[in-house]
Amino acid sequence: MTELVLILISAIFVNNFVLARFLGICPFMGVSKKVETAVGMGMAVAFVMTVATVVTWFLQYFILQPLDIEYLQTIVFILVIAALVQLVEMVIQKVSPVLYQSLGIFLPLITTNCAVLGLAVLNIQKEYTFLEGIFFAIGAAAGFTLAMVLFAGLRERIDLCPVPRSFRGTAIAMVTAGLLSLAFMGFAGMVKG
Amino acid sequence: MKIKRFPGGLHPPEHKSTAARAIEPCSLPDELVIPLAQHIGAPAEPCVVIGDTVAKGQVIAQPRGFVSVPIHASSSGVVTAVEPRLHPMGRPLPAIVIKPDGRDAWPDGLEGGMNPLLVDPLTLPPSRLRDMVRNAGVVGLGGATFPTHVKLSPPGGKKINTLILNGVECEPYLTADHRLMLEEPERILAGIDILRRILGVERVCIGIEENKPDAIAVMRDACAQRDIEVIALKVMYPQGAEKQLIFAVTGRQTPSGGLPMDVGVVVQNVGTAAAVADAIIHGRPLVERIATITGPALVEPKNLRIRIGTSLRHLVAECGGLREEVVKVIMGGPMMGHTQLSLDVPAIRGTSGLLLLDKNAVATRSEGPCIRCARCVSVCPARLLPTTISAYARRDMIAEAERFNALDCIECGCCAYTCPARIPLVQSIRQVKGAILAKRRLS
Amino acid sequence: MLEAILSLGGVGFCAALALGFAAQKFAVEVDAREAAILEVLPGANCGACGFPGCGGYARAVASGAVAPELCPPGGPETVARIARIIGVAAIAVDPQVAVVICQGDQQRATEKYRYLGISDCRAAQKLADGPKTCPGGCLGLGTCAAICPFGAITMTDQHLAVIDRDKCVGCRKCVEPCPRQVIKMTPRSVSVHVLCNSHDKGALVRRYCQVGCIACQLCKKAAPEAYVIEDFLARVDYRHAVKPTAGVEVAIDKCPTHCIRDDNPPPAPVPDEKPAPQAA
Repeated sequence: MTELVLILISAIFVNNFVLARFLGICPFMGVSKKVETAVGMGMAVAFVMTVATVVTWFLQYFILQPLDIEYLQTIVFILVIAALVQLVEMVIQKVSPVLYQSLGIFLPLITTNCAVLGLAVLNIQKEYTFLEGIFFAIGAAAGFTLAMVLFAGLRERIDLCPVPRSFRGTAIAMVTAGLLSLAFMGFAGMVKG
Repeated sequence: MKIKRFPGGLHPPEHKSTAARAIEPCSLPDELVIPLAQHIGAPAEPCVVIGDTVAKGQVIAQPRGFVSVPIHASSSGVVTAVEPRLHPMGRPLPAIVIKPDGRDAWPDGLEGGMNPLLVDPLTLPPSRLRDMVRNAGVVGLGGATFPTHVKLSPPGGKKINTLILNGVECEPYLTADHRLMLEEPERILAGIDILRRILGVERVCIGIEENKPDAIAVMRDACAQRDIEVIALKVMYPQGAEKQLIFAVTGRQTPSGGLPMDVGVVVQNVGTAAAVADAIIHGRPLVERIATITGPALVEPKNLRIRIGTSLRHLVAECGGLREEVVKVIMGGPMMGHTQLSLDVPAIRGTSGLLLLDKNAVATRSEGPCIRCARCVSVCPARLLPTTISAYARRDMIAEAERFNALDCIECGCCAYTCPARIPLVQSIRQVKGAILAKRRLS
Repeated sequence: MLEAILSLGGVGFCAALALGFAAQKFAVEVDAREAAILEVLPGANCGACGFPGCGGYARAVASGAVAPELCPPGGPETVARIARIIGVAAIAVDPQVAVVICQGDQQRATEKYRYLGISDCRAAQKLADGPKTCPGGCLGLGTCAAICPFGAITMTDQHLAVIDRDKCVGCRKCVEPCPRQVIKMTPRSVSVHVLCNSHDKGALVRRYCQVGCIACQLCKKAAPEAYVIEDFLARVDYRHAVKPTAGVEVAIDKCPTHCIRDDNPPPAPVPDEKPAPQAA
């Protein structure tokens, strides 16, 4: 039990996917202008991450390993994740057109989102059990959403500030992201992993 | 006893140098410019033409609609023009120009007013009294000039149980209400009796700031025989703002977007009470008021009883003229008054004071960046976040500003006064309030 | 090797099946034309069409609710391409460009009072109708420049808004916010304008602005066809916009206050004179 909680905490804070492992920077910078869209994006990623972990775990231990073709891991995972994202996109478009519109171009971005692939690969590397894997995925997704929402909140406030001309827009966002990452470095060493 | 107050606010230097000066009459000017828009609501409609001879107190413009009051000649004379003249609001607006004949005569040889009342006013029905108040053109004399009869006509279902008389005069420099309370408390009390009869309230309070102990003593004395509480209030600007005064006196909080009548209170300025008494007992319409003419650029600051329509230049001459070059002319108090473009504008019903500042009293340092010291937040009597609303306002983020309750701003100016970066917070908030209201009208 | 091919193929096949099933199950009717229209729109999301962004406009056009010629930044080419997509004949749009018809900057025009408030013309206008003595002159606080989505409006050092006609796409976003209506839409084919927005009489204009139109009629005499004078203010008659009226340039040198200017090439600065006497 302690092990599971540790995995969760580690994935959310200590080894935050965005701010400590630097995975999934693309949506982190792209969809963080408003808290609302950031939350939507976080939810979408959380869903994809969890499902992807389940599917890739089964693929790894029931197809790749028995057949001794682990070298195909990356390509198989990408294939599965891409198909999953496509599926999610279709479902969202049907179920919540509003969310679909606000996510816009960034939905396909999850396809090539390294956070999702990174999660699947790390999950195998760390030789997590199925349950540990699920907790790892939930933690990673929560960490991703946390980073997104924090950053979107910061950017909404930066919008109100007199930023020097040369720093406006993406430049100040990059600086902010760096500082936020630095802040998360403060968690380093809290949990081994 | 704990001194009553409201949350927030600040205490700017008082500069009430005219507090010890008795109210003096003001000489008749050569020309009276009486604007048709002197109150909140629809401007009045002129009912005289060029060449007409008018008596003092004669109606020269009729009200249009319910939220409007008639306008009266403030001296006898001849109408020489009905044309746009520079108004204290900064642009030319229609006005009636009267050349006084020097006799300053009321109609039919009467003295001190028209149709003096021969019966006890308290025997008259409230609706009759309310009409008399309206016909005399009485508006809120604290500066907002909201027609008094409207405030005295609460819509059905709203039960009024408290009348608060505002003798706070929290704006620096101004002493007009202070002098009125010292010199003519009987006028105020007669007005209170009538207001009480109209509203049918039990509880009447007079709120006065602690820095006027003499006025508190005089009013306590005068009220000794009556059931009126005189409440000493903490010296804190804007103690005289309606909602803040209600909170300090009764502890009731006016809801966001609500009116004092929503918490069963009506607030009237002490000057308004005196004007109500004049209107009903003497039949004397609102043709004059007491104003403080003051400021460092003036030779001899005074409290004057001024006729409506007297030009500011005449008032300045009445006070011995200018000591040095005047840099800023403000009608009203320094916190909420209106800056004037020139001295050639008339004093109107809302002119509670005239402030002439020299270059030492005017800061022209331009604004700097917000350093997030939150002084504006701690002084805001409406408990808003001025700096946030202002930032949204400047970026035209109207919906966000609305979410931060920009409309509850009372524009008291505390935030801008205290801002170390000199950010014109009130101006931007006022701007976004206009935008929010415009958006609401559209949808 | 065979296992690798088979397993990869199998996984792919399963994914394809799932996707195919989802495509049927969660099918959403999308108008193909909508995407096509979005493709040809400029993508600036400027809102000139009155819709929130290009996507909203594309949807509205595809559904047939609005006409295809509401996109000024796109110009006639875009309109023609949209018309081809939805299959209606395009209506020729007259490309327009916004012009600030005022040259009265801080040096050349007087002010009633010193304004110290926020840098927003709309707020300044509420204080005694704005600091400029001229009732129509540019207040120069940059509200329009902040609004322009194309960066076509710049403020000079002397606080006057100037619109770059090469960058202006005619989206009209700056026209309505200007509290003094000093920005006018003009046909792109005409580059000569009377840069004054004061309807006061000549003598009064001279008191507060060196470069104001005094309605002296000289331009009208020089080119009667090209100018109209209404309410003590001359303006170019834009009705002949398709073919610029002959003689419109003739009046430029005749104007005693230099307020008729040719924008193309950008005008040389007005020769500096002594500042106008302060209005009484």
